[in-house]
Amino acid sequence: MAKLIINNLNKVFSVKFGKNVHAVKDFNLNLEDGEILALLGSSGCGKTTTLRIVAGFESPTSGEIRFDDRDMIALPPSKRNVAMAFEGYALYPPLTVKDNISFGLMREKLSKSEIEKKVKEITELLEITDILHRYPSTVSGGQAQRVSLARALVRTSDILLLDEPMSQLEPQLRAVLRARVKDYIQHNNKTSVFVTHDQTEAIALADKIAVMEGGELQQLASPYDIRVKPQNVFVASFIGEPPMNMLNAVYQDEGDKINFLIKNENNENAFTLSYNKTSIDQSKIINLQNNQNLVIGIRPQKINFDSTDVNHNANISLTSNHWLGDQIHLGFELNGINIIGVADRNFSVSNSMKINFASSSINAFDSSSQKVIFNGF
Amino acid sequence: MSYLEIKNINKRFKDDIVFDDVSLSVNKGEFFVVFGPSGSGKTVLLRLLSGIMSQDSGQIFMDGVCIDDLDPNERDISMAFQNFALYPHMDAFENIASPLIAQKTSPDEIKKRVQEVAELLKIDHVLSHKPKELSNGQKQRTSLARSLVVRPSVVLLDDPLRNVDAKIRYEMRLELPKVLKEFNTTVIYVTQDYKEAMALGERVGVLANSNFTDVDHPTHVYKKPNNITSAKLFGDPTINVLNASNISSGDLSTITASKITIESNNPNLKNQRDLFLGIRPEDIQISNQAHEGAIKVELRAKTPLNLRTVYLLRFEDGVEVLASASEEESLLIDDQKDFYIRFDNSNLNFFDQSESLIQ
Repeated sequence: MAKLIINNLNKVFSVKFGKNVHAVKDFNLNLEDGEILALLGSSGCGKTTTLRIVAGFESPTSGEIRFDDRDMIALPPSKRNVAMAFEGYALYPPLTVKDNISFGLMREKLSKSEIEKKVKEITELLEITDILHRYPSTVSGGQAQRVSLARALVRTSDILLLDEPMSQLEPQLRAVLRARVKDYIQHNNKTSVFVTHDQTEAIALADKIAVMEGGELQQLASPYDIRVKPQNVFVASFIGEPPMNMLNAVYQDEGDKINFLIKNENNENAFTLSYNKTSIDQSKIINLQNNQNLVIGIRPQKINFDSTDVNHNANISLTSNHWLGDQIHLGFELNGINIIGVADRNFSVSNSMKINFASSSINAFDSSSQKVIFNGF
Repeated sequence: MSYLEIKNINKRFKDDIVFDDVSLSVNKGEFFVVFGPSGSGKTVLLRLLSGIMSQDSGQIFMDGVCIDDLDPNERDISMAFQNFALYPHMDAFENIASPLIAQKTSPDEIKKRVQEVAELLKIDHVLSHKPKELSNGQKQRTSLARSLVVRPSVVLLDDPLRNVDAKIRYEMRLELPKVLKEFNTTVIYVTQDYKEAMALGERVGVLANSNFTDVDHPTHVYKKPNNITSAKLFGDPTINVLNASNISSGDLSTITASKITIESNNPNLKNQRDLFLGIRPEDIQISNQAHEGAIKVELRAKTPLNLRTVYLLRFEDGVEVLASASEEESLLIDDQKDFYIRFDNSNLNFFDQSESLIQ
């Protein structure tokens, strides 16, 4: 396995009768040996183009790709020693499932018994032992995806590349296969890059997540930091389920306390959130200007339901109460502003419940630059 | 109370049996969710109800009257689609008004009714926009408004939130029941998402294997599903199902599954020697200490899931289970130490050899 280094990568697709598309902009990455990276974003964000450039199917407009200290740019895909699983599976139709998986191993000149052993291990892990002698056209989409994943995982390669590797998996299998695949990749120390639009998959599998939008890297961090320390409004609202509550606000310094005037759709004051300066980390607010426009983000899971001290002046009404098995989703209206909260599954919900926003749960972003000011204060 | 009634419906496409003797009754004003995997016949059911397809045998009643011989436009039922199906050359107002125009409603009345429904769905500011100028969320609201503007007795919603982003989906989950209550309409809502089914449904019908396997309140279906198929359709991660063996002596049954032992006085467990134990990941308690009754397991992988953590654990005999913990719970667990698990006895279910729930 190898380190993956990407420096100042750019890809511009020229369009004959229109504007050129800048699909990847100044992308930088340093992936250590054995680390798992998720390229996460919605369609058209540049994630698949980035993966295809690493694989060698696409050449960059500028920039550098290295595996350890070896420059890859000039090498064709077949010389890069990458194993890849494609979104469309790309299984060989005339070969059985088993031959599809062992094909790459035969090229590696492994002995027959070694191949058997490897195929057995990976097919058991992915629960496809019962279809080994079937042909690709006779298996379901979910099974075909598992075969394609098996074929890529089993190969010996410097870098493992996976394009939407679990998007078609049967929902009931997803959680357990995610866990087993992660275990397998870590155990075999495979440096891996996978593309996904599914944040659940990215958070579950990856050591690092690169959130992309409009060809630009929005944030590169651990799953924990992506969740807890989003660097801009896009990442904050993209990650998390239910999505983060995003409120337009104006900052006010009132001497011994600070206020956030929360605005409604018509830019009128809906309610005020207040904190005593003595109870917060004041170093976080030194860069705030009086009357600065902000976006305040609060994770549904971080809202307090049992707190007695209330730091806002809104009337609260409970508008919905959805028990979902392992958690409860609650809808509130605070002077016309809708807020979603998540409570523990055993929490007893009442119509007169208070809600409160601890200072540690407040994320503040500048509303013009959309960049973070603090994540909790 | 029963308003919409399906009696003994059969439907097949060539050799493929879609419905095998399906009966269902829905109350007036009820929000009823039809939930099932793709291919289970959810959309076919809506087509039979709306009249654009007919069943091979069986009958459909509305308010006590059989509607099988009525054409789609004669039925007091309207439908909104997953892919919006808006007319691209008409603006939002014209799209919403189209069924009223077909009914030859007066222009004044049309204006009043479109305005009313648009305000409720918060799209009154975009009524002059063409579909291509609308966001996905606004398209979905327009499509919904069109189905509600005729004030139908029954509205059929075919996975309406599937093609909208997470933020709009959550907004609509909160808003939809309120809006539909204003119209006092009976709702049949189709979805593949168990969370949506549980959030929205006053009752949920689980469609699998050509029939409803469960029809009940979502909480009940989640906790006491009638069979393993139903059980596995709920939860992320889904329920763990373990092979178990049972020795009964007198009234006491002792059930063992991978070293986990459970005692029960349930008389229905007697004589069930081999059975299945179902336990949801959140009902498995993880600890680094060997509490009484706890079994040692090996941690295979740990995957964060939203703000919860999912643990893939392996018993000595190789059997794997998934357990999940909240953020607070997972902070108390040290991955480097030994793992012990216990099952929460009040929340586990037993299924017999035919995979049916043992009550």
